[in-house]
Amino acid sequence: MTALVLDIITTAAILFAVASGLLIILGVLKIVNFAHGGFLTIGGYSGLVVTQLGWNAWLAYPAAAVAGIVMGAVIERFVIRPLYDRPLDAILATWGLGIIIGQLITIVFGREIQFVQTPITGATSVFGETYSVYRLFLIVAAAAVAGGIAALLNATRLGLEARAVIMNEPLARGLGINSGHVRFVTFCIGAGLASLAGALITPLSAVDPNMGVPWLVNAFMLVLVSSVSLTSLATAAVTLGGAQVLVSTFVSPVIGGLTIVVLAALLLRIRPAGFGHG
Amino acid sequence: MADLTTTPETLPRRAFSGRLVAAGSIAGLCIVAAVAGPYLLDSYTVNILVRSFLYAATALTVDILWGYTGILTFGQAAFFGIGAYAAGITFTYMDFSPQTAVLALLAGLAVSAVVACITGWISFFHGASPLYVAIVTLALPIILVQVLYSGGTFTGSSSGLVGYNTFDLSVEAWFTICGIGLVVLTTAAWFFVNSDFGRVLVAIRENEQRCTYLGINAPRVKILLMVVMAMIASVAGYAYAGYTVVVAPEIGSFVFGTELVMWVALGGRGTLIGPVLGTIAIDVISAYLSGNLPYVWKLIIGSIFVLVIVALPQGIVPVLKVSLRRLWSAATGRRDATLRLAVPALVDAPEGRRAGTGSDAPAVNIADLACSYGSLKVLEGVAFKALGSELLGIIGPNGAGKTTLMRCLSDGYERTGGTVAVFGHGIARTPPHRVVGFGIGRSFQTTSLFETLTVAECLRLARHRLDGTRMLSHAPMLALPDAARRVITATGLDRQLAIECRYLSHGMKRALELAMVLALEPSVLLLDEPTAGLTKPERTLIGSILVDLVQREGLCTLIIEHDLEFVREISSRIIVLHQGKVLLDGSVAEVVGSELVRTIYAGGVHQELAP
Repeated sequence: MTALVLDIITTAAILFAVASGLLIILGVLKIVNFAHGGFLTIGGYSGLVVTQLGWNAWLAYPAAAVAGIVMGAVIERFVIRPLYDRPLDAILATWGLGIIIGQLITIVFGREIQFVQTPITGATSVFGETYSVYRLFLIVAAAAVAGGIAALLNATRLGLEARAVIMNEPLARGLGINSGHVRFVTFCIGAGLASLAGALITPLSAVDPNMGVPWLVNAFMLVLVSSVSLTSLATAAVTLGGAQVLVSTFVSPVIGGLTIVVLAALLLRIRPAGFGHG
Repeated sequence: MADLTTTPETLPRRAFSGRLVAAGSIAGLCIVAAVAGPYLLDSYTVNILVRSFLYAATALTVDILWGYTGILTFGQAAFFGIGAYAAGITFTYMDFSPQTAVLALLAGLAVSAVVACITGWISFFHGASPLYVAIVTLALPIILVQVLYSGGTFTGSSSGLVGYNTFDLSVEAWFTICGIGLVVLTTAAWFFVNSDFGRVLVAIRENEQRCTYLGINAPRVKILLMVVMAMIASVAGYAYAGYTVVVAPEIGSFVFGTELVMWVALGGRGTLIGPVLGTIAIDVISAYLSGNLPYVWKLIIGSIFVLVIVALPQGIVPVLKVSLRRLWSAATGRRDATLRLAVPALVDAPEGRRAGTGSDAPAVNIADLACSYGSLKVLEGVAFKALGSELLGIIGPNGAGKTTLMRCLSDGYERTGGTVAVFGHGIARTPPHRVVGFGIGRSFQTTSLFETLTVAECLRLARHRLDGTRMLSHAPMLALPDAARRVITATGLDRQLAIECRYLSHGMKRALELAMVLALEPSVLLLDEPTAGLTKPERTLIGSILVDLVQREGLCTLIIEHDLEFVREISSRIIVLHQGKVLLDGSVAEVVGSELVRTIYAGGVHQELAP
């Protein structure tokens, strides 16, 4: 029982961390970033590079974030910016970017699955249940991501401008907010977050050039049911992630893998606002 | 009114038949190529091309859904996979015979039709965002692949099914069959998208909301289209399984689904021929290159794809076409006349199809109507009746809730409380296209038209509900009720039937908007500032047409206006809305003479009510 609850919480934490980058990009830029899977992969391979160089495993996280931000900056400038007015095309272009990233990684690192060292290993006892310390650490990491985004949105000038752009972009522009700048910074941060999440999840599995795709689909679904709100995203991650864990445990892991996609699609049909207010 | 009937211009008609001849000869050449191909090409290329033809047929369905109708779908791969697995499973477990071949084909068609119907029902509903269908169709192949994995030995799990008995045909025969099939399909698709019905699809892509207010059940059109396209993809998958003797989960995967979209985008969405050529070219080049440079090739395709989406959203084939045409006109010194479709002849629509004729109930009966967004109450306790032959002016300051009132009358989902009845029928919770069926026709405050459709096409769209629309050709006639005829002849729109809406002046657009609503043959007309931004003469013209309509045809008309003078001239009764409530309801003299109305317009009541 304790293990099940911990599984649900840690799964929700992972899903939250993975989806948050997608959420803020959708909120501010109003586009669905299908290169999100590619950014996750970049994060995973940043961890691999840190491992191969023999550096301290903790360095994987800043390395991944920086790699994501740099990639995000380049991509925003040359691909995203021309597509502001064509959101459906942006989906396709970012999907194409995902393919490019996947193929580049394949060419550089090879196709095979590789393993990354974990900064924390071993297990600990929680209420009499032995549980992986790394999975517990992910709860902290997700909370830190959530706190970081909330602080950025609520306590900085950029956050204020970003919130204004989310609510009413033409008006925000009229008030002298450089929405292009807000979009650029948001995309970089979103890419950095995605990449960081990629580095966070790799010690649980392994890296391969297509590791981002299954995560992308789940993250995408979670973001759509959360109507661009961090608290709704947390609710969605706990509810749908929890359902996924329960179905995987008690029914079958294969159906469990579909739980989020199916539930989210049905939820949106019944209640288009999803977990958001509306 | 016979003298006002416009004769179709001869030039565009000739242009259309010219295109017909061109399309026919291209199709004929392609069929010759499909027969002769195997003798001219090496066997490896022939082998690959059969597969490419089947992919191209599937890409064509993506083009009709996405390029023409605006439904971004990743799900056609799933239907391809369903057709393929229907064949693979049937031939593996029941062996191949003519009977099982037919059985497998029908099974594939039936399953894809049902799945497409469910997918459509989930994706298309009143108010669904266009992004939503992309999500659902993205989930579809993912679910299919998981189902195939969990099928164990029955579906062959991840390795699929191989080596079953299949059609005893040579590769050359497959080439000819699939080649001719593709030509026939492309030709049929060409007729379909260039027909009157093809314009309905474009209209749904451009402005679905407006379509529903013209009585078009857009969700149903999209679901039916998706079912038909799914069945076509399923046949392509069936042929694929019969030809390759291999079915594996990859052919139904969402990676294949995204590849289909990529091929369509690269070739040129909304061009039919672009996606077909693009798919064939990319698949053949892939077959040659992927052996030597697998990753680099995919990298190149990915990069070109991003480049095309960003810089050439129309795709490669249209760009080639334009440059070829330029070269041609430079070489011959002739300039291509812009091709436009034939203009239909205007005829009178039969009368007496108005909803509610002969009913004793009031045309509109509103009781206790409320509409709120969260805690903001836009309308509260609104109640009034309107009869036929009444021209009811609705006035009130900005933010009084006038447009919201129109919305609540024309869309059953808008109001949060109260009832609206049209000739005694409650509109209940029905989407706008059903409300149109009750007899309500609504025009919009901001002109809401279909930019790339011509005037005639817009009017035909408004007649879709009553007259239907041809699927594979153009109707030579366009029947319009007298009222709509009068608006377009009086404003001169009848001489501009072949002009695209975006080139019309503001006044013409307003007139067309009104004519479209009248073409619906409504019994209750809702007009939201029909004369906004018009010149004085235009305004007088519209006013006199309206008064005439109300008097001669007994149309109940509700009109929102800011110009008190205009309202006073045409109305038989006036309702004053203020802060979501009916403040005054009386004759023109009563309302215009009222001190209260003057205070509201001067802003006095605001100050009084403020604490």
